[in-house]
Amino acid sequence: MQTAALSLGVTSLAPIGKIRRIASLAEHSGVYGMWIGEDIGRGSDVFVQASAAMLTAPTTNVGIGVTSPMVRNISTIARAAAALAEIDPGRFGLGLGVGGLQDLARLGLTVEKPFMMMKDAVHALRRIWAGETLTLQGENFDLRQFLVRYQSRFNVPLYLGVRGPKLLRLAGQIADGVILSGPMAYLKKALEIVRTGAIGRGTRSRPRIVVWLPTLVVRKRKDQDLARAVAATVIADTPAKVLEMAEISETAVESVRRTARERGYPAASSYVTEELLNSFTISGNARHVSQVLQSLAELGADEVVFGPPFGTPLTRSIREVVSAWQTL
Amino acid sequence: MADAVTYGLGINADETLESMIEKSVTAETLGLKYVWIADSPVQLYGPIVAAAVASRTAKMHIGLGLMSVLLHTPSQIADALITLSDAYGDRFDLCIGLGDRRQLSQVGVHTNDFASLPLRVLEAKRKITSRLRKAGVRTKIWLGAQGPRMLRVGKSFDGVLLNYSRPEMIQWAIREAGLPGNHELTIGTYSPSYVHIKPQATILRLAKVSAAVVAVGATNRILKEFGLYEKLRKARKMADSSPTVEAILAAVPDEVVEYFSITMRTTQLPSYMAKLTHLGVSHVVFAYPQNHSIQTVRELAAGLDLVS
Repeated sequence: MQTAALSLGVTSLAPIGKIRRIASLAEHSGVYGMWIGEDIGRGSDVFVQASAAMLTAPTTNVGIGVTSPMVRNISTIARAAAALAEIDPGRFGLGLGVGGLQDLARLGLTVEKPFMMMKDAVHALRRIWAGETLTLQGENFDLRQFLVRYQSRFNVPLYLGVRGPKLLRLAGQIADGVILSGPMAYLKKALEIVRTGAIGRGTRSRPRIVVWLPTLVVRKRKDQDLARAVAATVIADTPAKVLEMAEISETAVESVRRTARERGYPAASSYVTEELLNSFTISGNARHVSQVLQSLAELGADEVVFGPPFGTPLTRSIREVVSAWQTL
Repeated sequence: MADAVTYGLGINADETLESMIEKSVTAETLGLKYVWIADSPVQLYGPIVAAAVASRTAKMHIGLGLMSVLLHTPSQIADALITLSDAYGDRFDLCIGLGDRRQLSQVGVHTNDFASLPLRVLEAKRKITSRLRKAGVRTKIWLGAQGPRMLRVGKSFDGVLLNYSRPEMIQWAIREAGLPGNHELTIGTYSPSYVHIKPQATILRLAKVSAAVVAVGATNRILKEFGLYEKLRKARKMADSSPTVEAILAAVPDEVVEYFSITMRTTQLPSYMAKLTHLGVSHVVFAYPQNHSIQTVRELAAGLDLVS
């Protein structure tokens, strides 16, 4: 009997056909839900994608994990989530994060005070959804006598997709859930920090822990190459604090980062060692993947997420991992 | 219905999603070619409403907007259209513009440099078009405009949507923008409407309030041009202090409201439409409160049947 739920994950780079296919597989394979991560500014609208997933899979939970208040007005995030919650109340969860370091850099954005931004965002969204006339003037948001006209007084579970200790503690204190990602050694520490932050909230209201790592079933050499390229992408986007918590030295990732910067991820992937590969991704045959996911559950995750990039063929990879997971 | 003119129902995204879908489905069944989904900070996110409507209608064109280029980046607007088109086919039109200044300021979007705004909208249009083209998405892009400065950039769009209803006002806008004779450009109107068989007092009142709000937000130039500026002075003064509906109604004279709404019996619609068609208007959107109920949508369709 599994103690954690298994969900499928995809990013907004995926075309809508693939998102619908994964939603349909989620619906019919009996997994808990589906998460869509936003690749900021890459040609798709993650909210519309989430609506298509919810309409395709009428009983599957769908979450956005994560979108950033750095790139959208907070009122837009509030009403997009409200519309998704209206499609089917209780099935949608919203993940908030600062945003990927490289995505933000590409848009010329920097975050001065991520802690306050996340705290203010959670506060603002909950008050907007509660139907309050809201005035909130600070460094991050400027709302004046703002009152929505759509039906309010509802609640959307808010997840924080965060990585540093201060933000992890904040997630433990105020979020409905937290989305964690990173090397195993980091995850153990991150979970502890979240738990510490949640002390005083009571067992029933403690945040739901979601662990989401790049995952794929490896069958051929090219799958292995893809796994290394994915690891290179993740390594390039991992903050120093996470490496420190994972006890991975900057030197160990320096070649990957430099090559990614200068020649792109495929070239950088040749510097991804076996150790780095296993730290930043879950890859192997379906049984191995499901066993590692299971170990994350044993670590304390309430929900573990499989994919992307899944492996090829997509449907077979998902079915095999779900089946292996169910028989563990 | 007349072939040359297309008709649409305006949906305010502040009712329930299911209700908006139901009215859109009814409108499609009754032969309306378009539904327009509004998008503003106080309403449900327009692209999701558009997706939900598209998922339950077959062929109907779905207009998205007005999407404010001050609230959304051009990339975000284009990406919404790209995702919608990927999911539901090339059924979407887009209307961009500035949006309601008061609502935008409530969410921290402030506009001061008014002179630069038309160029900003134009630049946004260029970026959106480029991104859509790259993605292979075909979308008609409308400009939501009212005042002369904004109207002047209308020629760079596929269409211009005006938010007033009086034929002489529309004629003025077309002349002011140098639009006559431009057969590539579609002229459309998007006004508070109540085309009815048996008028209901409550809906007449809603139409009046909606038109009054548009009138209060109208540009100085257009109000002066039609002698409405002085008549609206009091109402405009109170606009920034969140006036009650009653206060707005009391401050805006009925004769002013008539400039900004299509409120008439179904039997009056043919002659009104003949005037608009004569001016070159080829797209008419009947906006809130025409979408008040399934019955008001049916009454609109009955009126349009008389127009053919």
